[in-house]
Amino acid sequence: MIAMFDLVMQILKSNQIEIPLIQPVVDSLIEIPVLNALVALILWRPFFAVVVMPGLLVLMIYLLYIIWFERKLTARIQWRVGPLEIARPLRGAIQALADGLRYFFQEAIVHKEAHRPYFIQLPILAFIPVLLPIAFIPAGNVVGIKTPYAIQLIVAFISLIPITIVAIGWASNSRFAFVGSVREALMYVAYEIPFIIAVISMIFLYGSGDPYVVIEKQWIPGAFLNPLAFLVFLIAMLMATSRLPFEIPEADQEIAFGPFVEYSGILFGLVMVLAYEKLYVMALLFTILFLGGWSGPQIALLGDLNAPIWLVIKTLVAISIIAIVRSMYARYRIDQALRMGFSWFLALSVLALVIGAFIGMVI
Amino acid sequence: MKEIPIEVPVEPPKELESLFLPIPKEYVEEVYKKDEFLILVGPQHPGSGHMRLIVRVKGDIIQEVIPDPGYVHRSMEKLAENRLYIQNIPLVERPAIMDSANLNLGYVRAIESALDLEVPERAKYLRTILAELCRIGTHLYDAAILAVFLGHTTGFMYPFGIRELICEALVRMTGVRFTSSFIIPGGIRRDVDKATLDWLYSATFAIEKRLKSFERIFIRNPTVIARLKDVGVLSKQEAIEFGVVGPFLRASGVEYDVRKVEPYEAYDNVDWEIVVADEGDSYSRFLVRVNEVAQSLRIIRQCIADLPQGRVINEQICDSPEIRGEFFDRLADLVLPLGEFTTLTEAARGSVIYTLVSDGESNVTYRLRIVTPGWLYLRGFMESLKGERLADLQAIYGSFGYFPPEADR
Repeated sequence: MIAMFDLVMQILKSNQIEIPLIQPVVDSLIEIPVLNALVALILWRPFFAVVVMPGLLVLMIYLLYIIWFERKLTARIQWRVGPLEIARPLRGAIQALADGLRYFFQEAIVHKEAHRPYFIQLPILAFIPVLLPIAFIPAGNVVGIKTPYAIQLIVAFISLIPITIVAIGWASNSRFAFVGSVREALMYVAYEIPFIIAVISMIFLYGSGDPYVVIEKQWIPGAFLNPLAFLVFLIAMLMATSRLPFEIPEADQEIAFGPFVEYSGILFGLVMVLAYEKLYVMALLFTILFLGGWSGPQIALLGDLNAPIWLVIKTLVAISIIAIVRSMYARYRIDQALRMGFSWFLALSVLALVIGAFIGMVI
Repeated sequence: MKEIPIEVPVEPPKELESLFLPIPKEYVEEVYKKDEFLILVGPQHPGSGHMRLIVRVKGDIIQEVIPDPGYVHRSMEKLAENRLYIQNIPLVERPAIMDSANLNLGYVRAIESALDLEVPERAKYLRTILAELCRIGTHLYDAAILAVFLGHTTGFMYPFGIRELICEALVRMTGVRFTSSFIIPGGIRRDVDKATLDWLYSATFAIEKRLKSFERIFIRNPTVIARLKDVGVLSKQEAIEFGVVGPFLRASGVEYDVRKVEPYEAYDNVDWEIVVADEGDSYSRFLVRVNEVAQSLRIIRQCIADLPQGRVINEQICDSPEIRGEFFDRLADLVLPLGEFTTLTEAARGSVIYTLVSDGESNVTYRLRIVTPGWLYLRGFMESLKGERLADLQAIYGSFGYFPPEADR
């Protein structure tokens, strides 16, 4: 038993994240019998990448931040104040937490017509394709699963998310949910092809799907190397996370939140954050491909933590800028969005592919 | 495109029988035998008002829409038969509270035409200002609803922000934000002092300035134009046939405005133009109302500049300069002569008709007929939906500014 514990500790200690700033604290904690296992586990690189940063913990903080920030920003633009009453000194910063708690204690109604097992399972199952990419997203030395095909894998998992949303609508078995699922499926076809082509153009450009190679080759940010792919990726991100002006599958005035119309309570809370989490994963990919990933000024005291911090900061800034479009545009109609997706949007992505292949040959 | 019929045995859903739909059972069966679908929009739907729309769709294309209004019917006409003439004033304002002054004005003018009451010039001008303020308020409200139907929340908040100025102006003039019951037979309740009018004059410029930013974010927004242009087109001929009224008739190219055709109050003394568009689509219906706001501001400014001095209430009604304190003494025992009195007024959403029938001896109405614009253009609204996409339902709804409480009365 003790031998096994020692073996595990040895494995954990062999791959520890190094942060000079908290090293004295870690050194003292590692002497304490039970805590040392915990500390060693948290500081184990793969665990740290997936669970702490840029993984689940940062994802949770990001969810709190983005919902608050988006509401606050929209309110500023619209001559309002926005969330304020909950934690007034923080200007309503934990509004999302309060909403989440409310959802948690609310009754989750499952209506008679629903396919009960799928209706309850799918919001939870939907998290698998959303959260799995995080295991493959590296941040410098902090990485969950290291593979040269990380970018392809992330794209593959992102492409799985809409299937769960269509299934959610199907399990709801309601008119508006049905219309919403069909819209989601149509939008999926419209953005997925240009999105994948844009990513392929960047892989051509860098000559590899390995994030480390990608970052290495970005002597200037990728956005300048291939501006068209940058644009296509940006619009695809809006379409994929159903944000305005492409908030078509969930159009609440038309089809009352589409696939999610029948959900209530914590189940609604789960499906509501789905799009935000998808946005986070896509923005991480966006940062790696176009904004130079985790490269940035190094601070010696932070050691290995430099890379994740830069990655998260860049991602959050990108998302915060994207949040502005919500208060600027009206919603397109489904046929307009499809026409756009299959005409100039597709053409733009093909053009980006040509540019990517050309620049890839030059550099 | 050639259609291939497929024989699929489809049972109409059971719940359609228990929803008290105003359509026969055979209709539902006929729809379900074809490859069509019935969608019930409303009355508890974020994209419908207090009404149900039975939408028959084929794929994404609307084939027919059957309205099921009456969810907010308040039997105003019957209530009006049991009240004194002046007690009806607050009642007839209620169909559309943003548009209260116009609805109030139509009713009071019916009483005045029965009694042959002359209204002092100053009161006429102040009534015009009130009516135009309410017109702006209603148009802003409708623009906000249109914006939120298109998912544009900023376009929703801006007009409501601007409308606060209108409400503030009404508070300063009448004492309440809306439904002021300020217009009474023979004039208005109180005089408005110069400081208030000066404030209102500068407020019109403030409104204009804020409308500019609304124009930048919403009216000229490419996504908004994409959604509204060439959607829900009513040709000139159709608009006349279906009896569409008000700005929606003018958007189809018909130059008709009651304020010009049969001028009442101070409308023939001020300089303004009828706003007309030719396209007859949703965007022009919206633009006509946007431009009408500019015309209304123009009318208000002229009225304030040319405001004559003098009384605000007819001497026959009240000797003192204001009716304050003796309102019920003077007006409660009002009895109209025998006859039928009809007035036509241009409210914000179109012509509103009041017909007052009096038996000549009692102090309550024998019959009051109110025809509000919403009820008149409902047919045109339903016809313009045909052949459009399901997502356009809300865009056309918003472009008509259909307001169920107003239509149901």
